[in-house]
Amino acid sequence: MNCLDYRRQLLAGTGESDAMRVHRLQCAGCAAEWADHATFEEALGEAMRVLVPQGFAERMAGAQVARRRKFLAAAATALVAAGAGVYAWLARQDPLALAGIDFVMKEEAKSIMMGTIPRSEAEAELAGTLPVERMERIGQVKHVRPCPFNGQTVIHVVLVVPQGKLTVLVMPALRMEGRRRAAKEGMYAAVVALQNGSVGVIGTDADVVESVAATLQA
Amino acid sequence: MGFEDLVRTHAADLFRYAYWLARDRAQAEDVVQEALLRGWRAFPRLRERGAAKAWLFSIVRNEYLRALGAKPPAAESLDGVEIPDERQDLFGLEMRDALLALPVAYAEPLALQVLGGFSCAEIADMIGASEGATMTRLTRARQALKRLVAPRERAGGRS
Repeated sequence: MNCLDYRRQLLAGTGESDAMRVHRLQCAGCAAEWADHATFEEALGEAMRVLVPQGFAERMAGAQVARRRKFLAAAATALVAAGAGVYAWLARQDPLALAGIDFVMKEEAKSIMMGTIPRSEAEAELAGTLPVERMERIGQVKHVRPCPFNGQTVIHVVLVVPQGKLTVLVMPALRMEGRRRAAKEGMYAAVVALQNGSVGVIGTDADVVESVAATLQA
Repeated sequence: MGFEDLVRTHAADLFRYAYWLARDRAQAEDVVQEALLRGWRAFPRLRERGAAKAWLFSIVRNEYLRALGAKPPAAESLDGVEIPDERQDLFGLEMRDALLALPVAYAEPLALQVLGGFSCAEIADMIGASEGATMTRLTRARQALKRLVAPRERAGGRS
């Protein structure tokens, strides 16, 4: 290393390397330059460190905390709103499904007392909407009888599955979309669309009702 | 280190860096404030937390350029650089005046080196120049400052 290299590297401000140090210790001129440069760097640092507004760092950090709180508050509000929306949607009581529950509680016994119709007649009644065989794949068909429901004639079916008794209301005349639900006094009802008409399933276990409704719809 | 701690640690030097870019205290404050807002939004996506300091300085730089609608400062010649004659009574003030007279293209890498403690390679990466060009700017900046502050204070002080 020569004096030119030494002074060039000093000016770049990259610090003194071992090679530079060795040179400085052997060169009085560069040693003086080094001392002068140290004073210069100190003055440079001091000049560059301009006065920062009072409390600037805390103010900036505080703004981040405030932003985070605001963000979390907004997120929490959105979450609560979404939750409330989901709850409201889930809790929405569909009148037709509610009528299904009322049927089970008030009318079903009367239909059962009137007795089931012959199998051939049942097959004929259900053929276009929900064939008996499809229901028999799920459980035992114990009762089939047409009866009035919600201003129309439906076919009332009592289906016994391993989890218990279910009421199935086959509605050939009802065309609808989506799925309707209701819950009341320990009963749960789901109404789903079929290719021709619709079917309502009512029982005490929501999961079983949902599962059977989905199977009948498939 | 969380974002608030990062801000608390580096806010002062970020302000100083912004000041040497903008040469205006109010604008420097605005630039840092806006930069930190952007930083706060982007911080979760920062993978290399070890590079957070360089990242913050880069955001301040970008925010300054964005606020100005400007391109990165060009490394114009230092030949015509002059400092005012007034206030040469104190060495620190002289140096500050000399720094203010220095074009941003030269003062910026100097600020990143002196305030941020970044290496030539890091500075080159941050300002989008080659390492060689960055070293040249740093060298020329110091040469100019020495020339500008030498006549009274430094030369007189040593003799």
